[in-house]
Amino acid sequence: MIILLSLLTFLTHSPKIKIENAWVRPAGKGMNSALYFNIENSNTKPDVLYKVSSPVAELVQMHKTVETNGLAEMKQIKSVTIPSNKTIEFKPGSYHVMLIKLKRDLNVSQKIDFVFYFKKAGKINVQAEVKGQ
Amino acid sequence: MFSFKIEKYLLVISFLSIILIYGCSKKLPMDKQIGFDSITLLNQDSSQVVFPDEYKNKILLLTFIYTNCPDICPMTTHNMQLLQEEVKKDNLKNVQFAELSFDPERDVPSVLKEFGDIRNINYNNFTFLTGKEADVKKILNNMDILALPGDTTKTESGNVYFFTHTDRIDLIDQNGRIRNEYRGSKANIQEIIKDIKALED
Ligand SMILES: [Cu+2]
Repeated sequence: MIILLSLLTFLTHSPKIKIENAWVRPAGKGMNSALYFNIENSNTKPDVLYKVSSPVAELVQMHKTVETNGLAEMKQIKSVTIPSNKTIEFKPGSYHVMLIKLKRDLNVSQKIDFVFYFKKAGKINVQAEVKGQ
Repeated sequence: MFSFKIEKYLLVISFLSIILIYGCSKKLPMDKQIGFDSITLLNQDSSQVVFPDEYKNKILLLTFIYTNCPDICPMTTHNMQLLQEEVKKDNLKNVQFAELSFDPERDVPSVLKEFGDIRNINYNNFTFLTGKEADVKKILNNMDILALPGDTTKTESGNVYFFTHTDRIDLIDQNGRIRNEYRGSKANIQEIIKDIKALED
């Protein structure tokens, strides 16, 4: 019984939404950058990422880059649904979190704090490293 | 009878020359002369660069960016850096790299310099270019580069806008002719190196 109970506690406390490999592009103060990462949802139900915030930028928005006939364009997206037992990749040339008008320089190897907001999982703190790409 | 022989002879000659021309140029899919000359631009240090004259007798990889771009242009710039490293590793001489901004209003030399510095650009054979709006437009039009400003977004400290733009790297040969073009953000480094080597021969 005790084992069962502790297993149950373990299960309910284990993170069901995991954000991994978060990284940011270097950019100067006043310029723009992007945040990339993977979101893994090991819940039995989908969850929705609807906001990301950070103190380093005046504006933080979710975007998707689409390329048609050699023309690259960004579209703002309101939210991203992560299906159950799936991983969604935010990567260059695709989904990204855009950091608009940086309040300071983002230099390689610095760590930047973010808060991710999910409909079910709530707030999740994420630290991302600035990588020279 | 005699004229028939000459005709036959000419036919063979023209056939041979077609094969010869085809054989020489087939390595690279394009051969298009840049349709302008001597446009004075500025580099990241505010020094004048006369384009394309500056690159005569050199192989040039040219791309088009704006530094406010958060996703595509940094990818392209990273690919240009990878190409620069590869060119050095393969000991390919005479290859130059240039990125022309299609947003000269915001991308003044100091802004280009900051964009390069934060990425540790090796300026040895790598130049950022900007210029007068009309001059830049002339180059873009001639090289079929589209850059369309989108809606303006308001922020605390001012406005910002982004471009829908062509994602391309051009390979220009020693005679100022465009010999191939690649998708800038998703460039295949080895394919481009192979093309550079074909131009070196
Ligand atoms: Cu974006």
